[in-house]
Amino acid sequence: MRETMTANGAAVTGAAARAAVTVSNMTKRFPAPGGGDKFVVLENISLAVEEGEFATIVGPSGCGKSTLLNVIAGIETCDAGSVAVAPREGRKDAPRIGYVFQSPRLLNWLTVEGNIHFVLEAQNVPRPLWQERVSRHLEMVGLAGQQRNYPLNLSGGMQQRVAIARALAIEPDILLMDEPFSHLDAITARKMRFDLMEILARARPTILFVTHDLAEAVFLSDHIYLMTTKPARIFKRVKIDVARPRKPEDAAVFDLEKALVREFFSVIEAGA
Amino acid sequence: MNGRARGFLLRASSIVLMIALWWVAALLMHDNEVLPGPAAIAHTIASDFVTPGPQGHLAYFHIGITLARIFATFVTSMLLGIGIGLTMGLSRTVERSLLVFIPLLLTLPSILMVFVAIMWFGFDEIGGLVAVLVIVAPYVAVNIHEGAKAMDPSLAEMAMTFKARKTLLIGKVYLPQLTPYIFSAFRYGFGQTWKIVALAETFGLKFGIGYMFSFWFEQFDMSQVLAWIIMFVVLMLILEHGVFARLESRAFAWRAPIAQ
Repeated sequence: MRETMTANGAAVTGAAARAAVTVSNMTKRFPAPGGGDKFVVLENISLAVEEGEFATIVGPSGCGKSTLLNVIAGIETCDAGSVAVAPREGRKDAPRIGYVFQSPRLLNWLTVEGNIHFVLEAQNVPRPLWQERVSRHLEMVGLAGQQRNYPLNLSGGMQQRVAIARALAIEPDILLMDEPFSHLDAITARKMRFDLMEILARARPTILFVTHDLAEAVFLSDHIYLMTTKPARIFKRVKIDVARPRKPEDAAVFDLEKALVREFFSVIEAGA
Repeated sequence: MNGRARGFLLRASSIVLMIALWWVAALLMHDNEVLPGPAAIAHTIASDFVTPGPQGHLAYFHIGITLARIFATFVTSMLLGIGIGLTMGLSRTVERSLLVFIPLLLTLPSILMVFVAIMWFGFDEIGGLVAVLVIVAPYVAVNIHEGAKAMDPSLAEMAMTFKARKTLLIGKVYLPQLTPYIFSAFRYGFGQTWKIVALAETFGLKFGIGYMFSFWFEQFDMSQVLAWIIMFVVLMLILEHGVFARLESRAFAWRAPIAQ
């Protein structure tokens, strides 16, 4: 039996930092196709994301990473354990959750600005704040002045930037990102990762990122959770102690990645 | 010359050519009882707008009546069709029970329905309305149902993760995805509606363009028959291209970049 990281283990390094997201012993089952017993998708998952932290879950495709994000986002329920998202310090209302999906999922019939207004309205952000929120976050993702453009006029990478601006505009307590660069070509994705780092330095959102790409995870994250599949469980939590700003070619990043790849695949392949 | 001006010129010249052919044919035929020329028809049309007709009404009156009938029956059938289509999209039970007999209604020839409706409801407005409803509403419903099935669930999921309320979800996510289907139902439904209204007026209803058409048909007045046909066609062309096409290009402004 492999060791599973527990909530306690995850909380140790946090010292006094506030947890933005706490998942404790969470289990999720799906009904089997064609009836019969439900099968377990996520088993006994525990993790804690501290405020302002960039945490990444790395696991093979189809291991239930997206399901985990959906449970945290509250659009799916879990069968056991608990999930808690805490509002930022000093705020009493419901936690705000931003979500960036694999594909942009923009409303193509609305302008770029209209797409951001949509989530601001959904989150009851007062109307007088909208204009500033839109321009600040569009500027942040490098799309200043694109307010009136329609998504279909933009490239795939730019559409994903709009999706990031949309998620940031609600000033989320947690920003969930589900393989947001996996649909982009390698060069665009690389540029987007650099830009995301820059955004982090300015806005300091709390991020829970999901990917199957270890290099991407090591480059971006403060902490990485490694996940196995069927059922998905977290088998290791790794702290990435490399100073920012980082480069993907940094020796430290590269060495860590190599070590993790070795460990990751030994576990995955032993399980398969 | 740009494409738009070119297209306009092409259309204008083909209309001019058609009128010229008509004029030549009328000259050769040389019989105003069978084929009056364009000039004679233009004169008849003009006089219908200034001289009261058989019922003591000017052409405006009949055109107004026909338009009111088309509008009222069309709006009713669209609303009913959209309502049924959406309910079918939302409920499996409604979907299954309606899918059985909607094809039956779709195969019903509209002229038969006009006769049946007039026999049931008499020679009045209700007969016309029922005929239009039975023919147009099922078509609209089928279209909207298709649209509801084709909606992208990932967008609704996006809206839910951002906690969009029902009204916002319907207004900004569902309806825009249905718009192309609504427009296509709109176009076809409108074409059907004016044909059925014209039929009902010709066969039974009092007043209206179709009524005038059948009145002059009974008098065997070819120039009046042609005059009313042309008035009707021109009116429908104005509605189709002047009103609907404009609404449509407005609703789909966001698509313009891919169309280019």
